[in-house]
Amino acid sequence: MDNPVKIRVENLTFSYHQTPVFEHINLDFNAHAITAITGPSGRGKSTFLSLLNRLWESQPFAKMEGKVWILLDGQWVDIYGKTLSKPDLRRKVGMVFQTPNPLPMSIYKNMAFPLKLTGMTEKALVDAKITAALRQAFLWDEVKDRLHDSAFGLSGGQQQRLCIARALVSQPEILLLDEPTSSLDAGAASVIEDLLVRLKERCTLIVVSHYLDQVSRIADTALKLEARGFLPV
Amino acid sequence: MNIRILGGCLRVFSWGAVLVLTGSVLMLLGYLLVKGVPSLGRDLIFGQVDVLDAVLLKKRVFDGLFPAIAGTLSVVVLSVGLAIPVGVCAGIYMSEFATVFQQRVFGLMFDILAGIPSIVIGLFGFSGAIFIHKYISKDFRPCLAVSVVALAFLVLPYITRTTQAALQGLGDQTRQAALALGATRVQNIFYVLLPRSVSGILSGIILAIGRCAEDTAVIMLTGVVATAGIPGSLLGSYEALPFYIYYISSQYTDAAELMSGYGAAIILLGVCAVLFFLAFLIKRHVAGPAGPARGRFHG
Amino acid sequence: MTRVTQQTARIVFFLSAAVSAMAAALVFGFLLVFGFPLIGGGEFFSLLARPWSPGQGLYGFLPMITGTAAISFLSIVFALPLSLGTVCFMGGLGPARISRLVDGFVRFMTGIPTVIYGFLGIFLLVPVVRTLFTSAGSGMCILSASLMLSLLVSPTMIIFFKDGFDSVDVRYIQAADALGADSVQRLIYVILPEAWPGIVTGIIMGLGRAMGDTLIALMIAGNAVHVPGSILDSARTLTSHIALVSASDYDSLAFKSIFACGLTLYVLNAFAVIAVRRLGRKRGPVR
Repeated sequence: MDNPVKIRVENLTFSYHQTPVFEHINLDFNAHAITAITGPSGRGKSTFLSLLNRLWESQPFAKMEGKVWILLDGQWVDIYGKTLSKPDLRRKVGMVFQTPNPLPMSIYKNMAFPLKLTGMTEKALVDAKITAALRQAFLWDEVKDRLHDSAFGLSGGQQQRLCIARALVSQPEILLLDEPTSSLDAGAASVIEDLLVRLKERCTLIVVSHYLDQVSRIADTALKLEARGFLPV
Repeated sequence: MNIRILGGCLRVFSWGAVLVLTGSVLMLLGYLLVKGVPSLGRDLIFGQVDVLDAVLLKKRVFDGLFPAIAGTLSVVVLSVGLAIPVGVCAGIYMSEFATVFQQRVFGLMFDILAGIPSIVIGLFGFSGAIFIHKYISKDFRPCLAVSVVALAFLVLPYITRTTQAALQGLGDQTRQAALALGATRVQNIFYVLLPRSVSGILSGIILAIGRCAEDTAVIMLTGVVATAGIPGSLLGSYEALPFYIYYISSQYTDAAELMSGYGAAIILLGVCAVLFFLAFLIKRHVAGPAGPARGRFHG
Repeated sequence: MTRVTQQTARIVFFLSAAVSAMAAALVFGFLLVFGFPLIGGGEFFSLLARPWSPGQGLYGFLPMITGTAAISFLSIVFALPLSLGTVCFMGGLGPARISRLVDGFVRFMTGIPTVIYGFLGIFLLVPVVRTLFTSAGSGMCILSASLMLSLLVSPTMIIFFKDGFDSVDVRYIQAADALGADSVQRLIYVILPEAWPGIVTGIIMGLGRAMGDTLIALMIAGNAVHVPGSILDSARTLTSHIALVSASDYDSLAFKSIFACGLTLYVLNAFAVIAVRRLGRKRGPVR
């Protein structure tokens, strides 16, 4: 693979309660590829993802040093700099969590939520974007007749695809996935794996996973998180 | 409406609310301190009587707060002392023995008791005194004993609830360790569970003390008077700080009396503040120095 | 420990719980027995609607009911925006460091004795009201009492509101954050719609606290026994009525009426408690 670099992590150090979690990390992530992060639990894999969309900042007692750059429209942007606001960053860098986290509203409203945040109100445009994102997430056929039902009525796998679709609505360039299949059965997991491979053409994906077989199936590059640093697998 | 404008308004509104709320309370307390601090001193509490004579009850203090402070102290110590054993035992029962049905019924009763306005608790104590006066002893009047019982009723649910919550907050590991070693349920309660939840129970008791010390409505119906001297017997009347403040505010005859009202208010506020910080420190001690772990992203 | 001590301990625990629970019933029982001369004659409900005029043998407590209603309602009107604004501030609109300070201060406020609010009301607030509104007479009126009372009930409301905010599922907040919601959007779209049981609970508890307080109304509402016509009128609440009349002759009918006031307050409180418990059961994420 010879894709250009999309994300560059420079000399990153992160500590929690004065205990270092990572020290002096330098890493590049290729565009339109799936990079898998594996490693024992408790080493901070999820924390690492949250550094890429600044979600860790709501944590008290956490501290970060170093830089994270992402390539947006041919320009390197410091995500902790002033040029990109936090909400804008999170629209460019979507995130999917370990357990599906639909909001307590209908499927349609869940999908429309990111658009509502940006103030988009034109119904036809909203509907078109929602339809497109649900199709990209392989979910459209299963939910098109029940868009106004509660999102909690969906199966676990469907809920997780809904969360992926909801992230896709904002047309992110990067998608962070934190063990996205760990709460699902094998069938639902394999649908999501296929989906992630297909999404490479749209986004750069970083997937935390502790299933090595899954990593070998979908990842272009794999990194193993060891004490305070990353090793290639 | 545009979310940006709405958001801006909400931000301004929330800042405004915080400023108005904290500002007005700080202004009130500041005014109290500015007006009242000059009155603080030995004379405020002991008047013209020598401190040692007053404390050893050799001489009666007529123009100082000493009798009111002594009255408040006795009413607080006695009523909390009465409420602690009953409240803690009731809390243990609720947490460790009660069936779901009992928890629901007793819980409802405790909530009702906790919500009864204190003047109604006072009225209850008062009617109890009339009852005894009518049917048992013609000499019986509202007195220290009546206040003590009524205030114990007032704070009982606090103590029960905090005991129950502290015990229920203990993890299964703590709960089962001694049982696995062959301890009986009661041994487990006394040797493991209670010692582990002592700080939780203590902070509840301190809040109960504060509630007793500041309450005015209960005692004004059950035996407090403006001048009684040091409380001499459970069956006599007594003075108390909060009642003194209430009384002075309408009955003061000269500037000096009013000043002693300000002084009494500062002392009462100080007592309540100290109790509050004590409870706060104990609670923080329970939660650990860094506060409860709230790791969101530790995967 | 022997089986006997086991059993004894258990019985002691049970008796304590039973006695504490019976206390609530005992209070009710005493009020009922002493209020009986009024209630027994079937007069209770007609009393609710009648004026107070002991000279003519009229012991209705309509004035006190309206006084309590006006003062506690108005205090909630003042306290609600303050409390909502403050809890929004603590819920993400204000800086975290200041929020923690505000949180501590609000908890401290719960410990300020109500008699001190009343005392400062007389010497600080009442003169201001008297100067600003000439029709307020002495300045002891519904407005003064509700303003002071709003400071008393705000911390109660804020603590219950904050409970409601904190009970919102953390995954919803995470989802909103990750989708790019800012703190205002998170509050409006995610937290507030989920936290409403806490908000309703807070309002009920605040109202209960306002109705149940005695000293502030007693000291600065003026205590006139008539149905108030404006917020600048003097008024008497059910609680102050009990405090004022209890000093009179034990056997008079006027005296008996305070038990009816007590019963009314008791019953209102019991309803509030039951409503709050119902709401509490509804809480938690809808699944």
